[in-house]
Amino acid sequence: MINTEHNQTATKSLIHLEYIDIGYVRPSSGLLALLNNINLSVKAGEIIGLVGRNGSGKSTLLRTIAGLHHPLGGKVLINDQTVHEISGIERAKLIGYVSTEQIIADHIRVNELVALGRFPYTNWIGTLSDDDKTIIDNAINMTGINELREKNISQLSDGERQKAMIARALAQNTAVIILDEPTAFLDLPNRYHILRLLNELAHIHQKTIIYSTHDLNIAFNESDKLWLIYNGKILEGAPEDLIITKGFHKLFENSDIDFNNNTSEIFMRRTYIGNIHVQGDRELNYWTCRALERLGLLSAGDKPALASVITGYKYNKAFWSLHYMNTIQDFFSVYDLISGIKNIINITKNN
Amino acid sequence: MPMIVAGNIRKLYLPVIILLVIFLFISDILTGSVYIPFNSVIQLISGKSADNPIWHKIITDFRVPKAMTAVLAGMALSVSGLQMQTIFRNPLAGPYVLGISAGASLGVAIVMLGLSPFFGHVNIGPISNWIQIVAAWTGSAFVLILILYASLRIRNVMTILILGVLFGSAISAVISILQYFSHQTMLKAFVIWSMGSLGHVTRSQLDVLAISVLVGLLLSVISVKMLNAMLLGETYALSMGLNLKLSRVLIFASTSILAGSITAFCGPIGFIGIAVPHITRLFLRTADHRLLLPSVMFTGAAIMLLSDLLSQLPGSDYILPVNSITALIGIPVVVWLILKRNGRFYS
Repeated sequence: MINTEHNQTATKSLIHLEYIDIGYVRPSSGLLALLNNINLSVKAGEIIGLVGRNGSGKSTLLRTIAGLHHPLGGKVLINDQTVHEISGIERAKLIGYVSTEQIIADHIRVNELVALGRFPYTNWIGTLSDDDKTIIDNAINMTGINELREKNISQLSDGERQKAMIARALAQNTAVIILDEPTAFLDLPNRYHILRLLNELAHIHQKTIIYSTHDLNIAFNESDKLWLIYNGKILEGAPEDLIITKGFHKLFENSDIDFNNNTSEIFMRRTYIGNIHVQGDRELNYWTCRALERLGLLSAGDKPALASVITGYKYNKAFWSLHYMNTIQDFFSVYDLISGIKNIINITKNN
Repeated sequence: MPMIVAGNIRKLYLPVIILLVIFLFISDILTGSVYIPFNSVIQLISGKSADNPIWHKIITDFRVPKAMTAVLAGMALSVSGLQMQTIFRNPLAGPYVLGISAGASLGVAIVMLGLSPFFGHVNIGPISNWIQIVAAWTGSAFVLILILYASLRIRNVMTILILGVLFGSAISAVISILQYFSHQTMLKAFVIWSMGSLGHVTRSQLDVLAISVLVGLLLSVISVKMLNAMLLGETYALSMGLNLKLSRVLIFASTSILAGSITAFCGPIGFIGIAVPHITRLFLRTADHRLLLPSVMFTGAAIMLLSDLLSQLPGSDYILPVNSITALIGIPVVVWLILKRNGRFYS
């Protein structure tokens, strides 16, 4: 018991959301609440992944925490200050914000973009001091975009632009950085690159990171804590906690997909057609079953088997022999096998 | 290597363009239907009296005010265009294309045509100048707020442009109705005004114009840092601590004063406001308003002086409307912009 109390005081929470109601005030239809009575907390140096369906209020929640949107009720506290009561400049020194909003202006160079992060610190005309310049250099180095400094941001790839925007938030030198879908529009290597960067910022530089994503693999693997929006509420916990308590599965209710607890893989729900018995080589069986699942066929199930497949190797070459009624057909690729099975399904349908 | 070249251009551009403005200013005073030798012009500008009293009158009463007006108009219109492009995040924004000049015209028309049936044409000297200019500011601000209202709801750059054109047309229709009901002498004065000219600005109007433009430019210098933050859009600007309301009020006041003042005394002059910021950015390749603002200011002055020079067709007595010259310079820039960014406007 003593030990637990000690732990709690050592890692005091940085951000508190107290009884927050989130939504919009619409002039025509009145209040539109997306999330009600939210209580959450974040410790310094944590990386929080926010997941939820489209329209569940992810962006609005992030904008509310960043102080860019007023909550319908409740308070957001950072360092015991109420975010919506402090001045814009003071808030900008606490929280940095990165969104997916496209920058339309032409001729902004990466240097200038990152330098804008010093906005809350510079004088009325925006003169950069030597300190400002050092901080800008550090931000550029930390994000690994030194080579791009003189480039126009319209010439950057999506991944490079995202890094430049993160560098700008870093130059703002805030304890908290909030990112709305930082991996949207990025290819797989770039997504992980951004996440590795965010991880470094959180775990090495003690920045507190809150980001939203639709990429569940990323959210699951790269967050200290997940916030999962479900039905106007937020489930909170380490990704693993949410799996153990089946909270993660709630994301997939009324959808075509589901989550496999054992493999932590997301798969599509399909209509079950029938069984095809598969036996033979272990590895070949695995991939064959995978392809069959796409057609709604299982290797073992309640229905009697339509046909059976024997897999194996002949002269170092993989083969599949399909036994159906009294016929045997040999195939040398999964693709051809599937074509053969589709024929059988058509025959049974027509009968 | 190209970076170093770009860096040098960034350092050299402003001094070069200022020298160009001085050169064009003197050239503008030297040109006109009456030939006046270079030496006499220099004598007259430096305050000495010239041998020929008619020359003296031509220089001090006509050519210098006109050249000064060109400088003021060039600076004011291009800076207002720059501010509008940044605040609306719309590369095709400008006081003329978005109907801001039309709004100013409406203000002027109401003063010149609408009020004359009640009060007659009373010349009350400098005060009437101020009434005219304040009416123009109000008209500009009115359209500017309409455009802001529209652009908060519509993201598409082209749609905003079409709305601006529509606002402009609607305002022109109102002005036509005013013209229909107004007295002949006032109508003539208004029609001459609406053709746009740098040469009709009187000495007393020039004072009013200079004070107004200086105030407008001062406001835009004050808002330089805010303009930089607004480049990234309102959400980012807010997240960096920008006071959005204050910035909008400052920048809108500046734009209305700049575009309205010029329209009040010179009539609507098109395409300077939209084209000059792009010409300047093409050379500087920067979006930093600390450098862009003074550069755009002087580039605008240079192009306006050049337009005025071209409108006088050296060696002939004809004077073309300066409107046509600015349109012929500006429209190719706009066409180039649309072609270059084709597709990017439809996001």
